[in-house]
Amino acid sequence: MAIEGVDLVKAAAMLGAGLAMGLGAIGPGVGEGMAAAKACEAIGRNPNEAGLLTRTMLVGQAVSESTGIYSLVVALLLLFVV
Amino acid sequence: MSYNIDTWLKLAAYTGGGLAIGLGSIGAAIGEGHTAAQANQAISRRPDLSGEVFKSMLVGQAIAESAAIFALVVSLVLLFTTPANATFATVWALLAAGLSIGLGAIGSGVGAGFPAAEACKGMVHQPSVSKRLTTNMLIGSAVCQTPSIFALVIAFILLYTDTTSSPVWPTWAALFGAGLSAGLSAIGAGFGSGLVAGASCEGIARQPRSAGTVTNSMLLGQAITQTTAIYGLLIAFILLFKPYQASEAIAPAMALIGAGLCMGLGAIGPGIGEGVTAQSAIKWIARNPTEVGVITRSMLVGMAVAESTGIYSMVIALILLFVV
Amino acid sequence: MQELGKIHQLIINLGAHQAAFNLEVMLMTWIVMGLLLVFGWLCASRRTMMPGRLQVIGELIVGQLHQLTEDAMGKRLARTYSPLICALFMFLLISNWIGIIPHMEEPSKDLNTPLSLGLMGFAIAHYVGIRTKGFKAYISEYFAPMFFMMPLNLIGELAKIVSISFRLFGNIMGGSIIILVVSYLTYNILLPPFLYAFFGLFVGAIQAFVFTMLTIVYIATQAK
Repeated sequence: MAIEGVDLVKAAAMLGAGLAMGLGAIGPGVGEGMAAAKACEAIGRNPNEAGLLTRTMLVGQAVSESTGIYSLVVALLLLFVV
Repeated sequence: MSYNIDTWLKLAAYTGGGLAIGLGSIGAAIGEGHTAAQANQAISRRPDLSGEVFKSMLVGQAIAESAAIFALVVSLVLLFTTPANATFATVWALLAAGLSIGLGAIGSGVGAGFPAAEACKGMVHQPSVSKRLTTNMLIGSAVCQTPSIFALVIAFILLYTDTTSSPVWPTWAALFGAGLSAGLSAIGAGFGSGLVAGASCEGIARQPRSAGTVTNSMLLGQAITQTTAIYGLLIAFILLFKPYQASEAIAPAMALIGAGLCMGLGAIGPGIGEGVTAQSAIKWIARNPTEVGVITRSMLVGMAVAESTGIYSMVIALILLFVV
Repeated sequence: MQELGKIHQLIINLGAHQAAFNLEVMLMTWIVMGLLLVFGWLCASRRTMMPGRLQVIGELIVGQLHQLTEDAMGKRLARTYSPLICALFMFLLISNWIGIIPHMEEPSKDLNTPLSLGLMGFAIAHYVGIRTKGFKAYISEYFAPMFFMMPLNLIGELAKIVSISFRLFGNIMGGSIIILVVSYLTYNILLPPFLYAFFGLFVGAIQAFVFTMLTIVYIATQAK
């Protein structure tokens, strides 16, 4: 079986896309979970501020998710542009 | 130098069997060790309750071990049976079966150690609720095993799958990817739901009156923590049962392995993160049972958002399977 | 295993393009909507000060969901959007539960249903954002903290649609595949009824609630 250069590049891009998104999802997942954990703790201590705390939690999670979104962008670029 | 297919099958079966039990016993050993350590500490605090603690330690360890027993079963099947109608795709299926249950048993083994340890600890703090604690521990650590059961299902399908009618070239990658997807995605979910169950046992020991609420919230938290394992199972099934066209190119095969790896790895982080969230939420539901509604609501939103990267992984895996 | 991935489609040729209609999903969606209409009509038709059983159920559902919306959005917005939230939750709940009845399929098992509901929530959230903050302030948010972050902020917003809709789709689809495979492996003896109860009732209700809650939260964060 002859290995062609184009095929090999495409294969690497596919595998790379999978690895990029897969590995990139680990950190944000744990980080966002920690943010949410602290928010739940704070709401348990002070339930009256639940609205404010939930909003703060969501903003914090959105920011920590940004690296996950970078992985998503890179994976999509690898799949459709490269 | 050339080998016939039987040699390759033996090679794959022995490697797979070794990987299955080798990887599969990591989790159970850690989990049981943690339980025993906490039980010893508990007994040193209240030596008069040693019988009670010893009993619940053994029960807890027995459940924590079940994931490793699944791995042992798959390993024995791999060692002592020869698949009929074998093709070269079967070689990879055997290897993938071992990897699937081996990786899948890690999370559940470690996770099931947490509720057992917390139950032993709680028993000496609140001897009056020891019955309620044991029940809660049993439910919690049994639910922890669900991700490893998903991996077991995939491992058995891989063991007995018939590959004679499908082309060898992309199919081997699909089978291998399915094993990786189911196995890796069970790690995070098992670990995370163990954290949840541990927190609920601790909460019941601290605040016995909130026991009912805490058990219900535990089940809710564990169910959501395991959703990423369900995504892994979904991708594994699509990989297993999708029809493939024969091709000699490398790219389609790598796309299938990539899909499995992407979903498997991507499910680890969200599983652990969601477990941490639900752990803390349940801890505070136990301390403040009147506010269960508010805490549960923000727990659900927090977990749903923490899961989103796992969902992006699923989307990329689906694109790799269907679009590219 | 042939049941996997079989979709009844009506394909209509429109010039060079093809339009595909997933007939089963459309039928099931209309059945769900019909059920909800009948339920709503039964609840509201004979309203009295001393409510009957159905009226109590209806008032309980509406009251709870209105309270939920009000907690997150505030009184003014909740007056406008709580009917939407209420309808969304009840539609999703019935959609996820209808698969329990034999020969019925969950409409939410098809990606089109969650995706269109997610797009609807997204559009409403951004409409609310523009209404409350004004167009200029709304646009300038995309250029925070620095202006070259605009494409990433945009993708971050669009990714919300993907995550909300694929969450529902993945859970319902995964649940039904697990049930299918386990019934296939165990020949419908013991396990499937329990699995039906777990994935149909429990997971279905949780995911319906999560979807609704996230829609509320997206609208509320845009309004602030």
